[in-house]
Amino acid sequence: MTALTIAMTHAGYVAAGWGGAVVLIGGYAVALLRRGRRLSRQVPPGERRWS
Amino acid sequence: MTIVSPETPTASPDAPTGTGSPATRVLGGLALAAVALAALYGLVWSPADVEMQDSVRLMYVHVPAAVFTYVGCVITTVASIMWLRKRTAGWDVLAGAGAELALVLVILTLATGSLWGRPTWGTYWTWDARLTSTALLAVLLTGYLALRRLDLDPDARSPRVAILGLLLVPNAILVSRSVEWWRSLHQRATVTTLDPQIDGDLLVALMCGFLAMALVFVWLLVHRFRVGWLEHQAGRLDLDQALADRRAEGRAAVAGTAPDTGTGPGTGTGPGEDTGPGEDTGPGEDTGPAASPPASSGTGAAPAPAAPAATEVTA
Amino acid sequence: MWRDAVLVARRDLRIELRSRVAISQVGPFAVLVLMLFAFALDPDRGVLDRATAGLYWVAVLFSGLLALGRSAAIDEADGVREGLRMSGLEPGGVFLGKAAAVAAQLLALEVLLGAGVVVLYDAEPAGPLLLVATCLAATAAVAGAGTLYGALVAGLRVRETMLPLLLLPALAPVLIGATRAFEAALDGVPADGWPWCGLLAAFAVLYSVAGALAYGALLEGQ
Repeated sequence: MTALTIAMTHAGYVAAGWGGAVVLIGGYAVALLRRGRRLSRQVPPGERRWS
Repeated sequence: MTIVSPETPTASPDAPTGTGSPATRVLGGLALAAVALAALYGLVWSPADVEMQDSVRLMYVHVPAAVFTYVGCVITTVASIMWLRKRTAGWDVLAGAGAELALVLVILTLATGSLWGRPTWGTYWTWDARLTSTALLAVLLTGYLALRRLDLDPDARSPRVAILGLLLVPNAILVSRSVEWWRSLHQRATVTTLDPQIDGDLLVALMCGFLAMALVFVWLLVHRFRVGWLEHQAGRLDLDQALADRRAEGRAAVAGTAPDTGTGPGTGTGPGEDTGPGEDTGPGEDTGPAASPPASSGTGAAPAPAAPAATEVTA
Repeated sequence: MWRDAVLVARRDLRIELRSRVAISQVGPFAVLVLMLFAFALDPDRGVLDRATAGLYWVAVLFSGLLALGRSAAIDEADGVREGLRMSGLEPGGVFLGKAAAVAAQLLALEVLLGAGVVVLYDAEPAGPLLLVATCLAATAAVAGAGTLYGALVAGLRVRETMLPLLLLPALAPVLIGATRAFEAALDGVPADGWPWCGLLAAFAVLYSVAGALAYGALLEGQ
């Protein structure tokens, strides 16, 4: 009686939701990191971090 | 965007080249691990809900996203209040970071809520209290960020932005209270989101979701703050640069040199000073665009080779 | 502070009376909005009847935006801001005065729109006390919030697009409350509407206080 198949109802919605979350947050994170690098080049080293 | 110093800054070996730091890398690693755990628990190890079936798995993203949207809004409002009191740029940057994170998360909240709604109610959108006030919150955040983006003097922009930020949480509360009251008149009590009485594995999955979202949120906040700080610094330097340019032009004009009205500072007032008086008063200021004082050189001719390198196009 | 408010209110109203923009442009625009709704919603299908309260208040909000924009524009002329700052007038008073002036114009608009709705949508006014109270409270709310947000975007080139974007979401509770109150009145169950009127009054007080306090900071920040 071991269920070997994992049947999921509404699988599409769940996948879309979780996938979308990863894409949205991940994409935003990547964009942030790249923005950070680009801006860092424009600012002298001593002034890059908040103090 | 202006490149201030002609050579890429290589100064100290530990000068940060981005917004990362050892602390954030550790944090990032933890966050990723937590996300993996939440995904495992949420998608695989926990069972489906009795009523909602597998769509409950969306709740493990939706509810934490909603909660941290509010956290972001609170950060913005508190930081705005602090800016009004202290008037230091760090608070302004923090307010902006909080709002941007809140916007990203509110979009996620709406999307996952909508996806949950489709199999549950049969429709992607319904005017229930929670969704409606969340949508309005998204608009509030969009408006706030639009004001921030305006190309303004920091002196003019910061007070306006701070007041708007201060109003963010009160507005959100007013909106959500009135919408709830309004919709409660017409709607029978349905389970619009997660039944607060969940327990067992479902609760564990939700807690994992919260943990993951918390870590991700903090990581994003730190990075967004640092990016905001860099923007602030770059803007400041642009301003100093522009002031130096204008001063240089002013002096050159006063000294009687051919006023090369500098839209492109690359042309500079350097080559322009062939007339007598310019030689004497000109030089140091002719290299004005190279903002750092040590760069000024002796005669009018000498800066010419340096000028094209030292001066860059301002955006 | 109250004297300053009266001073500013009279100035704003005098400017408005002389230019007559409210009368000749905003008023007709308000009626036009009512007509647009009729075009869009087909008077024969009974939608206009049921939606009268909501359409009325949407029309008030849209025309109110114009009035608020003009109120903010008065102070954008050269040197007016500095003049206000250096005049020694209390910023809270300036705020209240401007809000009062806009409120007067809004009330006039609401009367006009009320007539418009009775004529064009065949509405039957009922529960007059509730209707009037709602109008007063909602007007105070819109004027207070609108003057504050108007100051937030005053002087900006993008004022005309930013003001609606910032103000209308903040006024959502006002729209909800005013519409519910009107519906209650028109349906003959005013008891249901008074709580909403209370909400509007609270909103008005909150925003008036907030505006009076914040106006100083906004005048300073140019």
